[in-house]
Amino acid sequence: MFILQPDNLFLSNILFYIAAAFFSLLLRKKHKICNILANLLCIAGAFLGILASLGYMISDHEILRLVHFSTSIPLIALDLIIDDLTSFFVLGLSVLVLAVSLYSLGYNTHYYGKRPIGLFNFLYASFILSMFLVMTAGNTIFFFIAWEIMSLLSYFLVVFESEKEENQKAGTLYIIMTHIGATFLLIAFMIMFRYTGSFDILGSSAVIPAAAKNIIFLLLLVGFGTKAGMIPLHIWLPYAHPASSSNVSALMSGIMIKTAIYGLIRFVLLYLNIQHSWWGILILCLGVISAVLGIAYALIEHDIKRLLAFSSIENIGIILIGLGVSFIAFAQHNLFVACIGLMAALFHTFNHMLFKCGLFLGAGAIQYTTHTKDINNLGGLIKNMPATSVFILCFSLAISAIVPFNGFVSEWLTYQSLFINIDLGHAGVNMLYLLAAAALALCGALAAVCFVKLFGISFLGLARSTQAAEAKEVPMPMLLGMGLLAMICLVLGIFPLFLLRIVDKVGLSFTGLSVTDHLQGGWLMAYLPLQVEGNSITPWAFFLALLILILISLVMVRILGGKYRERKYNTWDCGFKELTPRMQYSATGFSKPLRIVFKILYRPGRELKTGEGTSPYFPLSQKYQVSTESIFEKYLYYPIILIMNKFSIKTRLSIQTGSIHMYLLYILITTLALLLYNQLV
Amino acid sequence: MGNFIYFTIQIMMIVLLAPLVNGIIKKIKALTQKRTGAPILQMYFDLYKLLKKSVVISQTSSWIYHVTPYLVFATALAAALLVPVSTMVTPTSFPGDGIMLIYIFVLTRFFIMLAGLDTGSTFGGMGSSREGMISSLIEPSMLISLFTIGLISKSTSIYQMMSTAKLLEIPLVQPVYLMIFIALLVIIIAETSRIPVDDPATHLELTMVHEAMMLEYSGRHLALMELGAVIKQLVLITLLANVFLPHDQLIHLTGMGALILSLLFYIIKVILLAVLIALIEVNTVKLRLFSVPNLAALSFILSFLGFINYFLLGR
Repeated sequence: MFILQPDNLFLSNILFYIAAAFFSLLLRKKHKICNILANLLCIAGAFLGILASLGYMISDHEILRLVHFSTSIPLIALDLIIDDLTSFFVLGLSVLVLAVSLYSLGYNTHYYGKRPIGLFNFLYASFILSMFLVMTAGNTIFFFIAWEIMSLLSYFLVVFESEKEENQKAGTLYIIMTHIGATFLLIAFMIMFRYTGSFDILGSSAVIPAAAKNIIFLLLLVGFGTKAGMIPLHIWLPYAHPASSSNVSALMSGIMIKTAIYGLIRFVLLYLNIQHSWWGILILCLGVISAVLGIAYALIEHDIKRLLAFSSIENIGIILIGLGVSFIAFAQHNLFVACIGLMAALFHTFNHMLFKCGLFLGAGAIQYTTHTKDINNLGGLIKNMPATSVFILCFSLAISAIVPFNGFVSEWLTYQSLFINIDLGHAGVNMLYLLAAAALALCGALAAVCFVKLFGISFLGLARSTQAAEAKEVPMPMLLGMGLLAMICLVLGIFPLFLLRIVDKVGLSFTGLSVTDHLQGGWLMAYLPLQVEGNSITPWAFFLALLILILISLVMVRILGGKYRERKYNTWDCGFKELTPRMQYSATGFSKPLRIVFKILYRPGRELKTGEGTSPYFPLSQKYQVSTESIFEKYLYYPIILIMNKFSIKTRLSIQTGSIHMYLLYILITTLALLLYNQLV
Repeated sequence: MGNFIYFTIQIMMIVLLAPLVNGIIKKIKALTQKRTGAPILQMYFDLYKLLKKSVVISQTSSWIYHVTPYLVFATALAAALLVPVSTMVTPTSFPGDGIMLIYIFVLTRFFIMLAGLDTGSTFGGMGSSREGMISSLIEPSMLISLFTIGLISKSTSIYQMMSTAKLLEIPLVQPVYLMIFIALLVIIIAETSRIPVDDPATHLELTMVHEAMMLEYSGRHLALMELGAVIKQLVLITLLANVFLPHDQLIHLTGMGALILSLLFYIIKVILLAVLIALIEVNTVKLRLFSVPNLAALSFILSFLGFINYFLLGR
């Protein structure tokens, strides 16, 4: 059918987002209608987006030029293209928008009458559109404009509840960091243009000399690394994500930071064509550092959203490990390994979109009903919020890379890409690969501890506060949004090949090498194991075996033990009168052993304040405080800020003198210098 | 069909043998302390008795608490499916993957740790918190050990690891295998909650880790948790036995005779390793919790040296 052509679907997808933005401004006075209409339009747009990208990727296709408007200014054009890579990211974006908009139908109700919801929905819809434009931009100028729009809109969303001081601070830090990143990108794009004379994103970089390519690579790495939250450029992430409202942080952490991964693949891999293996090695090292430190910091957090933000840094690290391996293999012309690495990175990108978005929605659900983000104030929620707890458990299992959820498959692929890259011939980087594998194992284990903490402390045990005790299940639309994502996580974990075949097309489109021959199985049912060079796992078989074994154990226990007799009683309270929430382990206590083991990293401080009483043996009050230090802020950023401050005070005194004559002199000198430059060059 | 029968026999073997291994370790410990000790089969009696008893459930707990025992048992059995018991008789395509094995154990641990937190008792939280620390320090070295053995056999499949080791006369003489054997032994001791990392015999809050998490369990739930733990222990010992001491080269029979002889060899090896573990347990003291990282580091360095020895120096 003509209507169902992918290009029409993509275009109508854009129109729906524009309509959502437009109508939410138009109906801003009527909060309820505005919210429902805007979110329904977004859902419709997202649905079309899924159809379009799936339809595009499944069919045989060539690069699709969606829109092409040239302007009177030469070289500058509005240019939208769709190829396998963009279409893969658009698929991720659309799935998330579908779930988040569904969720927002319920979540935004607490804004009714209190906040300008029309403005919020306008920003929300245009934020989605801006991400779509970043992914489909066909030339670097348009990419940069869309990138800036995306950053600005997300800034507005971060500071949406602007009366809170922490939001203002978070927003300022975010806008500064993101612009530092954008500056690096702009310089890289300008150098690219300087040599090629074209802004085309699909163009060739053959004329760029090798030295310049190295510089461009480093600039791009810093630029995209800032957005991705790569350590040490990550400092904005743990502030900005908790500040924005949960549906926005779900999108920011779910997909916005992944646009940086898109950028790295698009520009470094496709445009620059990996030149040296040190590019990959650098990315691999940064990935390892981000993964380990990210999860280490997540472990000691007890603010849910900050914890999730740090865990995003970890997952970006895992993606970068896959990407690094792939880049090294590309540089060594080892295409098979390169494809597996790329596939692992992309698959993990997609998986992380799903479960991190879900976790942020879950954090929003907790906040919606209990009005707190601090795990230490929660507890026992599983009884009041049964559905939410199941979904969060699913996401926690998925993010800890536990079988049979999707996180495991992508980590397994990352391990395999490291594994098949080690061989006896190359002595140099083998050790690095093995250390990366060890780091990945450490991350997996720490992530499991971290999410046991998140789920165990906030959902199990006794309620630690009245808000937690009086919590109620959240409205249906919110549950639907989370449930959708949880279901996809499980399905992709059991039948990973469905998505892997799509991911494979991305690799196929620029290497000409299909890995799916080695990944046996059909479209949906992988009746043969998922296999990489003889190493195989069969997630669905494991899942089936687990179900059967649970059934067997139930039957066996029934036969051997007879009838089930149960007696309810209190938990053993060590002989005290009753069990109180204060006896339970808190989130801070739970992570204490690891805090002590890794004390070099956290630099924990302990302080005991005693209120003097009549006798030193009976103090009136005692206050115990635990603190940790952020090394990067203290030893990297504060010194830089100090130096910048000193420098700017000096320059203010010597350059910005306030005398008009001096300024005229500057203009004269600049003009002369430019004239001279034009004469000489 | 052959596969199915093989898997069934293997699973039955492991379930039936697992409490015995525990009994042997306990017996040897008793003998070295000049005690008679409980009968070797004591654990079977205990399990049967526990199964018959009624269950006391904490009012604070949720469905997680009910699900965990079954899940612990089922995942231990699923892990048993991945590790070939007798290497001679094996189906053609064995899906056992080493990395998957590690992550199946993570699944078990995830739920045991949650169950520890579920009752709201201090002990449970303490056990979970300590378990989290120990497991996350042990995991990297476990992965590197399997990775290195896998690299030698060019596959992460446990079956491949075993059949490669089979080609060497006695793998343990090779420095790589020796170092990784010791590294894995340390890991297994930590994973199965034994001295010097954890003391399975006491219920003292200062020392316990694994026991603390399941302190509230009783009746059939406790039986399943205990059985799950010993099955996991046997699976790890089996891994050690079949990768480092393969016995196929000793058997020159075919058919039914080979199967029986192979199982016999397997049982002997498991008993030998159980004796080794018991002797280690007798001759060490329980470490302070914060000395465990040193043990984990030792194991990590050994497995890493094994890798360097083979892949950078060439044997």
